[in-house]
Amino acid sequence: MRRSIVRSLLFSSSSAVPATMAPLPPLLLRYLVVILIPLFLFFSSASAWKKDEFRNCNQTPFCKRARTRTPHSLPRLIVSDLLISDGHLTAHLQPSLSSEDDVSAGDTPHPRPLVLRLSVYQDGILRLKIDEDYSAPSAPSKQRFEVPDVVLPDFEDRRLWLPRVSSTEDGSISSLYLSDGFEVVLRHDPFEIQVRRKRSNDPIISLNSHGLFEFEQLREKKEGEDWEERFRGHTDTRPRGPQSISFDVSFHGAEFVYGIPEHASTSLALRATRGPGVEHSEPYRLFNLDVFEYLHDSPFGLYGSIPFMLSHGLKGSSGFFWLNAAEMQIDVLAPGWDDSAAAGNDRIDTFWMSETGIVDAFFFVGPGPKDVLQQYASVTGTLAMPQEFAIAYHQCRWNYRDEEDVATVDAGFDEHDIPYDVLWLDIEHTDGKRYFTWDRVLFPNPEEMQKKLTAKGRHMVTIVDPHIKRDDSYYVHKEATDKGYYVKDATGKDFDGWCWSGSSSYPDTLNPEVREWWAEKFSLKNYGGSTPSLYIWNDMNEPSVFNGPEISMPRDALHFGGVEHRELHNVYGLYFHMATADGLLKRGNGKDRPFVLSRAFFAGSQRHGAIWTGDNSADWDQLRSSVPMILTLGLTGISFSGADVGGFFGNPEPELLVRWYQLAAYYPFFRAHAHHDTKRREPWLFGERRTALIREAIHIRYSLLPYYYSLFREASVSGIPIMRPLWLEFPEDKKSFDNSEAFMIGEGILVQGIYEEGQKSVSVYLPGEQSWYNMRNGAAYSGGQTHKLEVFEDSIPSFQRAGSIVPRKYRFRRSTTQMANDPYTLVIALNSSLAAEGELYIDDGKSYDFEQGAYIHRRFVFSNGKLTSSTIHSASLREKKFSSSCTVERIILLGLPSAPKKAVIEPGNHETEIEPGPLTLRGGASSVALVIRKPNVRIADDWTIKVL
Amino acid sequence: MEIRLRFALLLTSFFVVWVYGATPIPNKQLLGIDPQDLSFYKSNVIKCKDGSKKFAKELLNDEFCDCPDGTDEPGTSACPEGKFYCQNAGHTPIKIFSSRVNDGVCDCCDGSDEYNSNANCTNTCWEAGKVAREKLKKKIETFKEGLIIRKDEVEKANNAYAKDEADLAKLKSDEKVLKELVQKLREQKERIDKLEEEERLKKEKEEKSLREEEEKSKEQEIKADETQIFDTMENHEQDGSTGNLDIAVESGTDNMVESKKASTQTEEQHVGEGHDDTSESSGGISQDGEISSYEVPKQDQDDSGSTEELSREELGRLVASRWTSEGADQTTDKIGNVEEDLMDQDSSVAHEHEGYTSETDDDRSKDDDDDDDNFEDDRDDEFEDDHSSSDASYIADEYEKPDPLDSIEVSSPTWLDKIQQTVQSVLQAFNFFKTPVNVSDATHIRKEYDDTSSKLSKVQSRISSLTEKLKRDFGKEKEFYFFYDQCFESKQNKYVYKICPFKQASQDEGYSKTRLGSWDNFEESYRVMVFTNGEKCWNGPDRSLKVRLRCGLKNEISDVDEPSRCEYTALMSTPALCLEDKLKELEKKLEQMNTRKPQGHHDEL
Repeated sequence: MRRSIVRSLLFSSSSAVPATMAPLPPLLLRYLVVILIPLFLFFSSASAWKKDEFRNCNQTPFCKRARTRTPHSLPRLIVSDLLISDGHLTAHLQPSLSSEDDVSAGDTPHPRPLVLRLSVYQDGILRLKIDEDYSAPSAPSKQRFEVPDVVLPDFEDRRLWLPRVSSTEDGSISSLYLSDGFEVVLRHDPFEIQVRRKRSNDPIISLNSHGLFEFEQLREKKEGEDWEERFRGHTDTRPRGPQSISFDVSFHGAEFVYGIPEHASTSLALRATRGPGVEHSEPYRLFNLDVFEYLHDSPFGLYGSIPFMLSHGLKGSSGFFWLNAAEMQIDVLAPGWDDSAAAGNDRIDTFWMSETGIVDAFFFVGPGPKDVLQQYASVTGTLAMPQEFAIAYHQCRWNYRDEEDVATVDAGFDEHDIPYDVLWLDIEHTDGKRYFTWDRVLFPNPEEMQKKLTAKGRHMVTIVDPHIKRDDSYYVHKEATDKGYYVKDATGKDFDGWCWSGSSSYPDTLNPEVREWWAEKFSLKNYGGSTPSLYIWNDMNEPSVFNGPEISMPRDALHFGGVEHRELHNVYGLYFHMATADGLLKRGNGKDRPFVLSRAFFAGSQRHGAIWTGDNSADWDQLRSSVPMILTLGLTGISFSGADVGGFFGNPEPELLVRWYQLAAYYPFFRAHAHHDTKRREPWLFGERRTALIREAIHIRYSLLPYYYSLFREASVSGIPIMRPLWLEFPEDKKSFDNSEAFMIGEGILVQGIYEEGQKSVSVYLPGEQSWYNMRNGAAYSGGQTHKLEVFEDSIPSFQRAGSIVPRKYRFRRSTTQMANDPYTLVIALNSSLAAEGELYIDDGKSYDFEQGAYIHRRFVFSNGKLTSSTIHSASLREKKFSSSCTVERIILLGLPSAPKKAVIEPGNHETEIEPGPLTLRGGASSVALVIRKPNVRIADDWTIKVL
Repeated sequence: MEIRLRFALLLTSFFVVWVYGATPIPNKQLLGIDPQDLSFYKSNVIKCKDGSKKFAKELLNDEFCDCPDGTDEPGTSACPEGKFYCQNAGHTPIKIFSSRVNDGVCDCCDGSDEYNSNANCTNTCWEAGKVAREKLKKKIETFKEGLIIRKDEVEKANNAYAKDEADLAKLKSDEKVLKELVQKLREQKERIDKLEEEERLKKEKEEKSLREEEEKSKEQEIKADETQIFDTMENHEQDGSTGNLDIAVESGTDNMVESKKASTQTEEQHVGEGHDDTSESSGGISQDGEISSYEVPKQDQDDSGSTEELSREELGRLVASRWTSEGADQTTDKIGNVEEDLMDQDSSVAHEHEGYTSETDDDRSKDDDDDDDNFEDDRDDEFEDDHSSSDASYIADEYEKPDPLDSIEVSSPTWLDKIQQTVQSVLQAFNFFKTPVNVSDATHIRKEYDDTSSKLSKVQSRISSLTEKLKRDFGKEKEFYFFYDQCFESKQNKYVYKICPFKQASQDEGYSKTRLGSWDNFEESYRVMVFTNGEKCWNGPDRSLKVRLRCGLKNEISDVDEPSRCEYTALMSTPALCLEDKLKELEKKLEQMNTRKPQGHHDEL
């Protein structure tokens, strides 16, 4: 509260000061002036996002240059020398220069032709590469940076061998087979690529349709030319000069575009950034930055970057991914941006700009939205299957100060019967921010502390950041220095920047050898005070450099192989995350699934661990924007993500905190965290009633863990996220396309957040044709309608979709560990044909044995009054087995018109009772459903239960 | 095998214990039921305790939750709201959450919560109980002793309180008397003043004419012979001044005016200097302001965008400080200090009798500034401090030493009588009709007036402080009466925490002092002392302190902690909290513990 008061004083300081002072005696007034003036000076610099500190497009020369170009104003690009080689299509790309141009160009060297390559992969993926021709006589000595390690190693195995290219008779157009029903069309003059439907010739995605393709080739510096760039006292030497790339991409048949995280926004669909009706024209920026107190709605770049955009409309979905780790700026263009009279009403044009790198672009044809996600996942991978504990509730704070504090908080959860799985330690646990060490005064016995948690089935996470304290007595620094493992500055010395640890250097994890070395640091032997139940948190890996340009590393810093930081900036965090996850994998001899949370990310980060949305703030708007932010991460591959419950900065009002818990219980990654200046906010500190509300919210998550774990499994196989926008499940329901308030968990659950203080009612749109069952009271609501609902204190609106079966566990324990043997409850919501289906995936929750078949994967189908459980996986691949003695203690039926009294279980021909019962077990829950009592069938077995 | 055996044994013991119950209930169904509740489960159809429904006895502990409140599943984990009763023979019986039943963690010391899990629980009740009993015994001892001390103190406190009240009453009547005396004396004094003034004027006039004549004579000395002059002088002496003399007089007055002017000038100069002084002193304040804004320009620079002048390190620290508020803290602390100083000045003017002055905090900030080594050190230190052992002391605060006036025996009637007598005698002795005024008598009256009115103001100040004191809530039995004039200290590493109940609390470090709060009230029926509105915290609440009180033989502060930023807590043991009810409760608990022997001793039940 205080902070916002100060802020409001600030913004209206000129009027607020005299107003507050008027009634004060003059003497006091004089004192107050003395006191307040420095206060204002101070707060004005300390509060809120610092716009000036970050470059906008106009202050970013490549962005400014690119953005001022108008369609078709550049020389036409012409494709020539078409060739099929090694199953790729290759060609040259060259601007058409009329003789006039030749004369007027004078001393401008004739541009070298660029090399273009098209490749086609299984399931409708086109890859386009455009780079300099390094074989040309005047080729640059230095190669442009191509991002390694992001595309899956086996992706190349899925390449289709192009036998030939068919061209039209006049040779102006060549076309390639892409997949059934889709083809690629390459127009030669002017150059344009179009992915389209075969028969109808309807375009889906096209590149350079507006002739904005520009590729600044590497060249020698001319005399008198100044390549340096300066920003707020920082100088970027830019020894290689301008090298940016920009082009336009059009999504045809699209109503909305989504993706390109990370930006804070209350809208899931990307908003137009340029063109008619756009007020604050700033492109979406992709540049990993540590932003202090970010705004809840802004196109400016945050901690991570994924240059992947999807489009969706009634005609279908498509996707475009540009693999490039340099700073990128992307414009979403409003219809009419190019002054065309016929504003494309089912087309969305976008404009992509990058500071450097190459064109390495992937086109995904869809046609369904899940197809696009799977196509993208086949390039960058799916999420790494986490351990079960990691998908439960995490308790964090900057900082749990010492072992006693840890013990007290841990005991607090037990005292209040609130489950949690992981307790986190922030930077203060270390010896002077030397990671892998402990402040031995505060944490004299870290192993014992962890063992105490382990005894209750809980885990611990400690933070390990990339800034290594430059202290010769610190072994990590000494080793890194001796081995030359640090990122270098422009002059070749170890880069020295300021961060938590003071003067610090940063390991160059682009180098595989450095990653290997870094990974070793996590062995139980090397990391003193660690135990096998300790997992890791990577923060500040954008990287954050407090005294660097834009609080990050200078772009002319040098990495392994002479790569400039500008070329890989956005992927630095991923490499660090990767190296850390590798370390945990090694620690457990490849048997223990790592858990590493990272703040910075790039395309592919999903393979290394979880992501959270960084330093958010305790206000309602940030609660609201958390949903589009997490949904966007899910759409771009990062399924395992969440936002800090309660908001990192500031003190949430208890109501906000409760609402946040109620919403966050559905986030894939569910962690409470707080800044060290905030008041304590462990769940039991806000009175009995609120404790009960928060307990209930956390219990909802724990009761849904079997469902979540099954969804994590699905995501790890298919790339379909856990938390989904409505249109992913209802791609034909137009009303769902721009819904940023509600979301799906899997196919079966819809959740609507409550984002306003004291909200009494809420409008919830329930998509589709089938009805929905309120998970609070079992009431049925029809689909395809907006319902105005009363808002209750005890929960946010959530619904189970008719036709789904959700496996749950209604026993509440301290942590997931104790739930392993607990019985299941199946909640069956019948659709209009009295049918439903669902899945359950179980494994040991820890190891990789599931890769050898050690898991249980069941499919439940209810139809014709009979529930059948059958196995999903193919028995032939089983090298290892997983068994479970868990039973089903209860089956809840929603939507059955008659009220049967008995059920018969086969095999065994047992009878069991059916009686009216509640949907949940909490005090006062009334009977709203039919409950099959104690069928006690084993979850692992095949069985049927017939309702009589 | 072993587990099963023990389980059997356990069941047997249950059986043995409960076999005397009227209705035989199958053993497994008895799990987790509080013996006091047993009768509730006797009938064949059992009600859920919340009245929501009924269930058949077979459903008791059948691993399926029927009652929303968990009535039907006391011995399993099936109901989220259930409670499991562990007998814990040899120790204290407890009720645990149903979520703990068969979860693989031994929660009951008798292991009865893990009757069907992999956990290998050993019965630790007797050993644990022994330790607990010893602890409890010690606690009871403390309570007993403390109770005696408390009784004694309560008695003393009540006496002292009564005495305070009596004093107050007395002081008030004294005040009345004194006021009258002062009034009389003032009247006399004024009359004397008046008389004296008249006399003075008269004298002045005489002197003036005398001087005039002298002047005149001087003048005439030159011109005329002396005898003549003498005559005229005598003449003139009677009828004022005329003629030539006037000139001389005029010139004389001219001179005087001039000299007066000169003196006014010097006075003016003084006033001017005074002005300078005040502007200097206000300059002192603005200097303070400047000190506090000393670091601000840095922030300011940052804001204006010119970070170029900062060294790289400064820039790094500056950016870090946004998250940590470290640099900011210093600035705001200093601002806070300036403010506090100002407030203290104010308050020291307003309530001088309270008489505490603030120390300046500049030293600390200097120290902090000079400490360029590690910017995180400050914070680390904070944490370390929380761990240092407590060192409580019981001291009377130096600045709370009794007012000099207190040395006046308020209760003794003699001093007032004396004054009265003196005043009377002085007044009587004074003869108003005598002129000129008797100098020694006048001095006497004045002195008496001064003395008496100073006594009056002292009495009044004493009245107001006593009234202030007696307004306080000293607890149900005034057990906290003696806290009023005491401060308690606890040293934790470099900090000394000074807690003055009913007044304020601070955290002192060397000469620097951070106000943690002013007295607010007691909370939780006199178990917590609350101090609020302490110094401001950057990004946090105003500092505050809660002192939790517990029974102890001495007044001692310990465990000062800051669980949330700028919200401090401390423990204080004091005999005031050694309450009889609590003692009885503890004794009863011990009795119970002693009678519950572990398995094999069930015959003692």
